[in-house]
Amino acid sequence: MLNEILRVRVSELADKVTGQVEESLGVLELTINYPYVLEVLTCVKNFPDVPCDFLHDLAGMDLEDHFEVVYQLSSLRGPQRLRIIATVERENPVIDSATPLWKGADFLEREAFDMFGIQFRGHPNLKRIYMWDDFEGYPLRKDYVIDSHERRAMMRVRKEGE
Amino acid sequence: MIIDGTQEYSVNMGPQHPSTHGVFRMVVHLDGEVVTNVEPKIGYLHRGLEKMAESRTYNQFVPYTDRLDYLAGPHNSLGYVQAVEKLMGIEVPERAEYLRVIFAELGRVASHLFMIASGSLDICGWTPWSYCTRDRERILDLFEMTAGNRMTLNYFRIGGVSHDVPDEFMPALKSFLDDMPEMIEEYYGIFFGNEIAQSRMKSVGILPKELAENLLITGANLRASGVQYDVRKAEPYGIYNRFNFNVPVLYGCDTYDRHFIRLLEIQESRKILQQALRDIPEGPVVAKVPKVIKPQVGKVYHRVENPKGEMGWYIVSNGTTKPARVRIRTGAFVNVQMLPAIVTGWKIQDLVTIFASMDLVLGEVDK
Repeated sequence: MLNEILRVRVSELADKVTGQVEESLGVLELTINYPYVLEVLTCVKNFPDVPCDFLHDLAGMDLEDHFEVVYQLSSLRGPQRLRIIATVERENPVIDSATPLWKGADFLEREAFDMFGIQFRGHPNLKRIYMWDDFEGYPLRKDYVIDSHERRAMMRVRKEGE
Repeated sequence: MIIDGTQEYSVNMGPQHPSTHGVFRMVVHLDGEVVTNVEPKIGYLHRGLEKMAESRTYNQFVPYTDRLDYLAGPHNSLGYVQAVEKLMGIEVPERAEYLRVIFAELGRVASHLFMIASGSLDICGWTPWSYCTRDRERILDLFEMTAGNRMTLNYFRIGGVSHDVPDEFMPALKSFLDDMPEMIEEYYGIFFGNEIAQSRMKSVGILPKELAENLLITGANLRASGVQYDVRKAEPYGIYNRFNFNVPVLYGCDTYDRHFIRLLEIQESRKILQQALRDIPEGPVVAKVPKVIKPQVGKVYHRVENPKGEMGWYIVSNGTTKPARVRIRTGAFVNVQMLPAIVTGWKIQDLVTIFASMDLVLGEVDK
């Protein structure tokens, strides 16, 4: 029942932003292009009756010709689940940050930046989170070369005062 | 020369500081003894599990999952194997489902006991530490007699569990469950009812409900801030919908409640364990699964309630024997963000207590 309301709302939204709605293993999936992401997330967060107001996960994904940012949304007060996939260009990976909507997206976006090099516009502190600051390359990209010998020889240079 | 007033300065705490419970580092900005800001610096235990998963087969990745939250190994593997099973549509035998619940809940009890133990140690309570670890040892013995390993079990398989438990397991588990009420009373008397512990923890480090939701805090930390939400109830995975248990919730939002809710959850876990022990059937423990795991093209998101917070597994299959992407959403990683939000205005000694109450495990934070 609730899922039906969500389906209607999502397909209305998809028409507005030229997105595609799919269903995989019981979860609705909305694929959109990156310029619409903030609009879509704001709209989804404030859906009447079925707000998907809890950003459960935000992850990058490399599909060789483009990137994806995957948002797993849910709610603490209902059974609604939604997955939003925003496609990002590979040459110029820029997307709007979700931090104005959820402060907690901070670390998740920093991780996606660290691992995929996706730039989040409007993020307050977009720095590497797992790797050190002068690390080169983005490890989870498919074209990242795992060259163990060279990498192992690479030592971290400490900055003054650290 | 006499300097008027105080000057702000920053101190580096960790990654080798005993109260950081691992290799967590924080840059603490101080005004005198009062904390003005904290910058968490993580990544000292980053092993790149997500990248490793892409070069291993589905079965080969199972042992790595235990290393995420190493204090409660079974629940991590549970999330992973259930995600793969969901993707492939594998039915798990009844006995294996019950054994999974037993091990997952034992892991939760062990993790919570250790959290209470180390939390008390951080405010110089040595006796609760030894009591909790003494009882946790009995759980580790149960793990050892089954899997041969005390913390990183590698017991779950895609399609079930690796082998049945030995004959002496069930009596030992039963005697442990029978002793639990006494233990809980003991912890209450020595730690939670203790005046010093209460004055150190009560109304320290308040995390209001709205802030917790906005910071995407999950797990027991969220429930201590007044949100009654548990994935085991909201979206039951495995056979959790068959058990009768409550989701404890506290409204104090402070360090004390974040410790105390763990004690309440241990009691609920005991209920689940008792029911599982009562209902567990005989039978096979692993389903007939193809030797080569090769899911069809597709993606799945599976979430489980880990002792440290919600864990999500996003697995994308491209139809080969190796996954295209394994994304691990760990609760502790997101929960780190509450530290700078709640610690401002407290002293360094409170910073240690507040940090302990968040219950971070660096294996899960750094993946």
